[in-house]
Amino acid sequence: MQKWINFVRKYGPIPRNENMYDETIQRAARRNKIKPILFEHPYQDKVLSCFRVEAPVSVILTGTAGDGKTHLCRQVWGELGGEEDKWASDDPYLSLEKEYPSGIKTIHFIRDLSGWVPQQGSEWSDYPSKESIINSFCNSICSEMSDDIFLIAGNDGQLIESFRRFNGGPNASRTYQVIEELLVEDLQEINSARLKFFNLSRGSSAELFDRAVKAFIGHEGWLECFKEEASAGEVFGPRCPIRHNFELLKTTLIQNRIRVLLELCDHNGFHLPIRQILLLLTNAVLGHPDAKERVMRIADVPKILEQRQEAKGCLYNNVFGGNLSPRRRSTITVFNYFGRFQIGYETSNRIDNILIFGDEDETLGESYNELVAGDKFYGEDESYLAAKKQYLEAADETEEASKRFIDMLVRQRRGLFFKIPEDKEIEYKLWSLTVFKFAGEYIDSVINILDRGERVTSKILSRLVKGINRIFTGILINDGRYVYLATSGNYSQAKVSRIFLDKIAVHPSKGEKVSLEYDHQKRRAFLKVYFSPEVYEELELNLVRYEFLSRIAEDGALPASFSKECYEDILAFKSRLIGKYEQQQIDEGVDEGYLNLKVLSLTPKGQTEEKIITVQL
Amino acid sequence: MISGANRIQPKGDKVEPSMWIDEAIWGHRIHDEQNPWFIYLEFLNIFVYEDSQDRVFEEPDGFNTLVYAPERRLHLRNILFNYPIAKLEQMARDNSRDNERWRIWQEEMKENQQGLDHHKFEYLQEHFETFEDFVEVIKVLHSTCLEIRSNKRWTSKFVFPYCSEALFEDLNNRMQPGDRRFFGRTGELLYLMFCRSNNKYRLRDLLKEKLLNQETIWSNIVKCLQPHSQGDRQKKSAGFLPYRKHVTFDKLADDWISILELKMPGYDLIPHLVSLAGLHMLLYQQELAREEIGSKRPSYVISEIVAPRKTLVRELSIESYQENNTLSLKAVNRFVDKIRESCEWQEALTRNAPYQEAKDLLVRTVKWPRHDYNEELDPDKLIEALRRDANKRHRQHVGNVHRVYGREIGLISKRGTNRLRYAPTDELLKTLILTNVNRRVELNQFLDKLFIKYGMVISDKEAERMLFTEKGDLDKKAFQTNRERLEQRLCGVGLLRRLSDGCAYVLNPYSEKQND
Repeated sequence: MQKWINFVRKYGPIPRNENMYDETIQRAARRNKIKPILFEHPYQDKVLSCFRVEAPVSVILTGTAGDGKTHLCRQVWGELGGEEDKWASDDPYLSLEKEYPSGIKTIHFIRDLSGWVPQQGSEWSDYPSKESIINSFCNSICSEMSDDIFLIAGNDGQLIESFRRFNGGPNASRTYQVIEELLVEDLQEINSARLKFFNLSRGSSAELFDRAVKAFIGHEGWLECFKEEASAGEVFGPRCPIRHNFELLKTTLIQNRIRVLLELCDHNGFHLPIRQILLLLTNAVLGHPDAKERVMRIADVPKILEQRQEAKGCLYNNVFGGNLSPRRRSTITVFNYFGRFQIGYETSNRIDNILIFGDEDETLGESYNELVAGDKFYGEDESYLAAKKQYLEAADETEEASKRFIDMLVRQRRGLFFKIPEDKEIEYKLWSLTVFKFAGEYIDSVINILDRGERVTSKILSRLVKGINRIFTGILINDGRYVYLATSGNYSQAKVSRIFLDKIAVHPSKGEKVSLEYDHQKRRAFLKVYFSPEVYEELELNLVRYEFLSRIAEDGALPASFSKECYEDILAFKSRLIGKYEQQQIDEGVDEGYLNLKVLSLTPKGQTEEKIITVQL
Repeated sequence: MISGANRIQPKGDKVEPSMWIDEAIWGHRIHDEQNPWFIYLEFLNIFVYEDSQDRVFEEPDGFNTLVYAPERRLHLRNILFNYPIAKLEQMARDNSRDNERWRIWQEEMKENQQGLDHHKFEYLQEHFETFEDFVEVIKVLHSTCLEIRSNKRWTSKFVFPYCSEALFEDLNNRMQPGDRRFFGRTGELLYLMFCRSNNKYRLRDLLKEKLLNQETIWSNIVKCLQPHSQGDRQKKSAGFLPYRKHVTFDKLADDWISILELKMPGYDLIPHLVSLAGLHMLLYQQELAREEIGSKRPSYVISEIVAPRKTLVRELSIESYQENNTLSLKAVNRFVDKIRESCEWQEALTRNAPYQEAKDLLVRTVKWPRHDYNEELDPDKLIEALRRDANKRHRQHVGNVHRVYGREIGLISKRGTNRLRYAPTDELLKTLILTNVNRRVELNQFLDKLFIKYGMVISDKEAERMLFTEKGDLDKKAFQTNRERLEQRLCGVGLLRRLSDGCAYVLNPYSEKQND
């Protein structure tokens, strides 16, 4: 029991979290005779199958720290018959021979590129044996004659840096170009290079979560903990936060809500590696601000129960790293990303009314019972009721007391994010608990729809176009049927652009159209503006941009925090569109004898009006 | 004797300036009141004239012999700048008949116009269907003009350079070009720099193709607002650039070429060209000052990516700014020292009439003093008077160039503090990316390029290299954080792609190769 909690704790946000590294997990597991948390890596099949074919080619595994690069290398090593003892050595480079129909191949494993390449300040030429290995790698990806196959694992910065520093003739510089292209353009292979490239950071964090959470809650270590009946005051008893958090984590609703946050991170380009996801799960169950290093050990629980502080170890809060100090929290990627949703700080009047006045208000009573009172553990516990009373009656007006209540309110709002049932998401406006009011719609009605090959409704498309038009022109246009291209006359990036150039029909017309499309390989959505079936420009539609455009369309404005970055993005898109438009114009030629200047303006009803002024030349 | 082999001396004794020191080092002249936009406009006027003579970027009669005749376009300027827009708008809203409105306006124009011999405005009517249309066009055109909100005289306001027909020279209140206030010859220097750069013909072709030969709505409208025949124009001799060749000229021309090769609407290119012109003028001043004082290293531009609080980088940035900002004055003093140390000067002192000999030498070399010098006839006092005069004169204009141009282009600012320092704006960073990144480049390489080309120090790596030539300790962390802030800012404006583990690529979305 104790061993398991101590072991699992090391996946968590504690200073000595040794389970961050595949090597140390393996060692600790052997030592304690505990099975590590294990699940099949989403890339495992793809990577292994590279070595199962008749004529294998080299493979590069890259990605951020904790993505499972070393783990995958070990899988391949085992599959190809490599000895476990050799693997357990510290050598970053290993090799073995394997017979293929095309002959015997030497398979080189560089499992830790950064540990293997000559360190900063020294040259490749100082290490002739390494230089010759890297040389044969460059030759192997350029030439079919080579009998050397490589599996290289390294983070992307290291990868680029290593090959840039290596001056080994034309094959070496070609290799550098290939790797850069694969990495920056997000590709898995390039014609003419005998290489497969897997950037594990491009994998879906949501998919990793599915696997990780299953392995995490299904681990036998937990069964051991909970198999015996414990009383209320005991560790793992009904009042024990570890037990309660574990039970909560098992529910589909909570898993789904965490998953959707990860999915949204994916669609914002924020990748979370396996290591971060395991950290998240561990902290969700074991987090508590009063525990040692703020992550519970068994020894911490009795005191927490005695002081009735179990509510502070609330899973809902732990998911956002609420148990950690702000400083510590800010250094941890997953909490950093989750923090951007502002869950706990964003709210609506209705939600706060339920939380604060719900127990004494008839109309809100039902909701209060459903969302707060029904949860005696983390919802309506004694400390919350007491603090609320004090706050409302203003008996204690000190800043500290109101801060205590506000902190509780943050936890309660976070709780609601996980408690609002799926069929009532719309009724309670679940997403108004986050900074991304349109996030639910983005996932359900855009990403999932496109992924299934269906079409996004014209209402959504038209709203996005309206947002784009408002940015493009600086005028509060209400029209979502056309994309308006306008400049200020001399500058396409001007804040107010009233000189109308052209409009492009959203619904297909004479080859023009605007559509939302999905790139299955990159798993990203794009808004594409077609001038003709072949000529188009696209804008990647990530969550932030979706929210930005939607809010601009609905409200005309939005909090300043995330406006600037998107604003520039959309203007750059406009510039590209105008570039395309101008190309078309030169091809077509302009009328002679007169010209039409079109000035955009709005009617009092917000309809767009193009005033045409004819100038005789 | 005093100058390097590369330096050209003015011919003859008669020169316009009251002294030839600033001019000997940097030319005639870099002028602080001429902001980079005006440098650009003055340059274009020459470019267009020389193009009409079919000799762009050539100096067929030898160095510094350029003579050109810019347009005045007083019809266009009277319409746009010498008649209140508000009054025009009011007139358009008036209910009277169209012809009547035209008539009233034309009469008022005839009365109020300045500088026109043929003050007829009837030609306008045939281009527009209604007076209202005309006013609408003027309003839009007016909104894109330069210096519109400044309180400069109306003859120093300018139309956006849509086409060659939108270009004209700066005039004073008497409609004369004499005072050289805002067109202070720096645009002429810019032109001469290009004349002496390696890739000048490529640059010529791109400027014509991208900016001047494009027929746009606005180029057509600007033409319609002017009568077919324009008034006379006066020839004027251009300024003096004292170097046959210089590496800064090549860098400048190459940077302009990079911008002109971008896939971007033509008019959007112009602000970048303007910023680069300002930046390179500023660097030219630095480099020549360093040559003058015999400094072996370039000027370091330690650039703070604006931080919320005071940082070490900010301190160093302030220091580097202060050092660079006073460098040109040091160069002037060094110039005077060199005269004093020269064999000619020493020789003059040994002659029978040392004062007269010394004075003759100064008149020959620095064209000073113009009038008799009334104090004691002592060569030492004479040269100290020269130093005083030169310092005073330098401080009035040339000594302000670093600060003024730097602020104009967004390199120097007080943002977040009360002292000036290098803190590039997003716009300037964007210009630098568009100039120096072909499609994409790793961030470290980009920063390396900025260091080599412009002396900009942003991350710890450049700071280390800077210290290689300058002794001192380095707080790496402060510069690393500075680099991180740059990463965030560039990411924010969509010009950076962060991979992971400190690996990031700077992107140029307008690069020619993109999407092709």
